[in-house]
Formats: sequence, C-alpha cells, structure tokens
Amino acid sequence: MSEFKSGFFVGGESCNGRVLVVDDEPDIRKVVRMALQKAGYDVLEAENGEKAIETINTGENRLLLDVMICDIRMPKVNGIEAIAYFRQNYPRVPLIVLTGFPDTEMATSLLRQGVVDYLVKPVEREKLEASVARAMEQRELAHL
Amino acid sequence: MTNISPTISHSQAEGQGIEHAPAPPPMRVAIIGAGRGGTALLDVLHQIGTIEILGITDKDPSAPGFQRAREINVTVYDRVDDLIKRPGLNLVMDVTGDPAMGPALKEQLPGDADLVSGQAARLLWTLVQHESTLQTGLLHAEKLAGIGSFAAGIAHDMNNPLQLILGLAENLTDEVDLDVVHAQARDIIDAVKRTTAICRDLTSYSRRTSFRQDCLVNVNGKLDEALKIARYAVALQYIDVRKLYQPDVVVQGNPDELLHVFVNLITNAVQAMEHHDTLTLETSAVAGTTQVRVSDTGCGMTPEVQSRIFEVFFTTKPPGKGTGLGLYNIKNVITRMNGSIGVESHVGRGSTFTLTFHEGSGVAERRTAS
Repeated sequence: MSEFKSGFFVGGESCNGRVLVVDDEPDIRKVVRMALQKAGYDVLEAENGEKAIETINTGENRLLLDVMICDIRMPKVNGIEAIAYFRQNYPRVPLIVLTGFPDTEMATSLLRQGVVDYLVKPVEREKLEASVARAMEQRELAHL
Repeated sequence: MTNISPTISHSQAEGQGIEHAPAPPPMRVAIIGAGRGGTALLDVLHQIGTIEILGITDKDPSAPGFQRAREINVTVYDRVDDLIKRPGLNLVMDVTGDPAMGPALKEQLPGDADLVSGQAARLLWTLVQHESTLQTGLLHAEKLAGIGSFAAGIAHDMNNPLQLILGLAENLTDEVDLDVVHAQARDIIDAVKRTTAICRDLTSYSRRTSFRQDCLVNVNGKLDEALKIARYAVALQYIDVRKLYQPDVVVQGNPDELLHVFVNLITNAVQAMEHHDTLTLETSAVAGTTQVRVSDTGCGMTPEVQSRIFEVFFTTKPPGKGTGLGLYNIKNVITRMNGSIGVESHVGRGSTFTLTFHEGSGVAERRTAS
C-alpha cells in the first residue's frame, strides 16, 4: 500500500484530507464542516455547483481536493449537473451525495455514475465520517 | 352577467380564424322562493352564460336569497305578480315548497312561459346541490393532487433544519465552551421553529375549505402567503419575483379559496418559465374595480390552447403532472366571487392572468386585513 496521503499538509498543519462541501444552505455547510473538522479534515465550502466548479479550478485545489460532498437541489448549477462535470473532468475525486429528498431512481443512476455514497439528510456524524473515510480510501487507491 | 369566458380579444380570435356562431338568445328565468333552494339556484344559474335571471321573489323580506341576489345584481321583487309579468319570460322556477304555489302560478303565467314546480323543482334543487358538492369536491381533490408535487420541496425544507439540529446536538455532546453551547442551543430552537412553520403552512393549506365563509381578504397578504406555499411545488429560487402591490387592496371572498387560486396561478407561471425569468404579482384598486395580475415571462400559449385552458380536464402538462382541474377550479372560485378571469398570452413571451372584481361584487370599499 502506498504511503501517499493527498492534502496531508495543508496550511502547515497535518490533516486527513481536503473536502469540498457543496450546499445552498449555509447551516448545512456549517454542521458538515464542524463534523469533518473534528475528524481532522480540511473543509472548503461552495454554495452551488457553479461555485464548486470555480473552487476546484482555483489554485492548488485542482490537485489537493480529495473528496466532494454535494447536495442535489440547488440554484444555478444543480447537483446533478455539477456531478456530471466532476465525473468528466475530475474522475479521481470521489463524490458523496448528501440530499434532503431521497429518490431511489436518482440514487441508482448516481451510484452507476460512480458516486461513492448517497446519504439522506439528516445524516449522523458517525455515518458521514465513515462515508468520507471510505471515499478517501478510493482517492488514495486512485493515486496508486 | 359576469363574463367568464377565457378572454381572447376579438381581434386575436378573428386573426386566428376562430368561428363565432351567432349566440342563441338567453333563456330568461324567474325564481320564486328565496330560501335555501332559491339561493342555490341563483349561485348555479348566474354562472351560466346562456341564462338570464330576470328576478327573484319571496314573501319573506329577510329571505337569504335576497341578499345573494343583490350581491350578483339580480332584481329582487316583493310580489310574484310583478316578476312573472316581465316581458320575454321563458321559465318560472318555483322552489317555495308550497303545494298551492304551483297551481296559482299556472293560472297567471303568460302563455309562452314554462313552469317548474312541485316534484320537478325538488329534483332540480337536488341536482343543483349535487353540482355544488361536486365542485367543492373537485377543488379539494385538485388541491390534494397538487400537494403531492410538494413532496420534494417539503423534504428539502424539513430535512435541512433536521440536519442542522442533529449536527448541533451531536456537537453539543462533547462541546466544552459554554458560549458555544448556548449559541448552538439557540440555533436548535430556531431550526425547530422553522420546521414547525412548514407543517403549519401546509396543514392550513390542505384543509378542506368551507363552501361559503366569505369575509374581506387582504389580497397582498394572500399573494405573499401563496408564494410561501408555491415554493414547495416549484423552484422559486431560480426566478426573479416582482411585487407591484397597491396598499390595502381587499376583496370579499373565501380566504382559503383565494389562497388556492393564487398558489395555482403562481405555480403555473413558474412552471412555464426558465431560470432567471420574471414573475410579476400586481394588485390595483381603481374606481371600484379591483384587479390582481399574475404575469410570467415564460413560454406562453397558442390561441388554441388559450381557448381551452378553463375546460375541465384540459392540460398541456405530461401525464401525471397536471390534473386539468387547476384553471377550471380557479374559474369557478372567481365566478362564485362574481369576478372574472382573463388571460393574455404570446408564445415565447409569456402569459398574464388577470382577475377582475367590480364594486358590489367581490370588491369591498373598506380597508381591512384578513
């Protein structure tokens, strides 16, 4: 197994990786950030798909972003469009969907597109952390 | 008589080659008896364009039908004789329930007028009541069908605060900073209140409307309330909403029904639009006429579609998406309020629905809020 740890040194401090949270609700971004920071992740935020695309194309994020957590129902570029963009342009960044509206058909279709996990709000911290950890493993495998 | 036809202007209709057959002369009707039967008849008959109600009479001056007749500009007669001597009378409907009335009328009627009385009048009244029950049932059915489409919006609006509550509560289990604990506890309380508001909005919207419970309704407030409800059905956050409200605009009507009308018109408008289009809500009250306009800058309708939109079960939405009852119900509600509804639409440029209430019908002069 490789020793590679993407985003291991961010801002001079050690961390478990860098996660981008895309959700139009600031409250959701806040609680996801709280949970993941406690678990040692560096967290970036974007309020919609358009901002998420901007963020990943900015500076070192292109290389250092490890996992993206994305809502579906958002203004401007919605989750489905953003996920399609990310799968095409950044196929090595694992994606987790975190949605308020469970839809089996959509879940199946997204999982087929390679989405790592489909989480339905409200999701417990433990489950979220486990999902991000699993995604992080995929990210590491992609670098082998 | 109130104009309830889907109003395509004449020039438009002629330009599209829509045929206008010469309208048959209206059937002129007199109603004898202004109790419950007479009132129900008034309500149904005055909605029918081919019927002209010449008047209503009752020996009881405080009969409920008299007030209703005045609201819809039907002449009230103190004496049966005066009413049945009106020239051009085609049909007399006796809903007094008085067995002596039928034979008495038969003797006095002009030769070319028909009489409905006794068991025939009872049957008629039963049918009228059935019709009004059906209309209320259809309104409720359509509203419930519409609420089905709220599922995504409700889930979104419920699960987001629930995620916040869960996340904060989990954090509080090991949070040591007391200021943070206090702040997050307050955030939880706010989130619970937001969630409760969703349930309150929707339960009040979904309840069955009472058939006749008219009062003065603050139109601007109802439009704002409708925007809150419509948000669950359609993605309002993607479009620009302009409110051009004249202050203190009121109409006389059933507030629940009016809310339903506004939710429907707003939902339709948003469904016709793309991102960044504009929804305009406008109210005005000038010289005894109150108007409410709901305009969109969406796809618009062809004249053929426009001419059918108020038909029952007519829809252009895909199967499962539209019941074809929305505008049909709206027309019924507005007609019951003695108002009219018109539409102006151009393909590619959008549609405007205008509700008009004249003084003495749905309009009230007084300033009030519901």
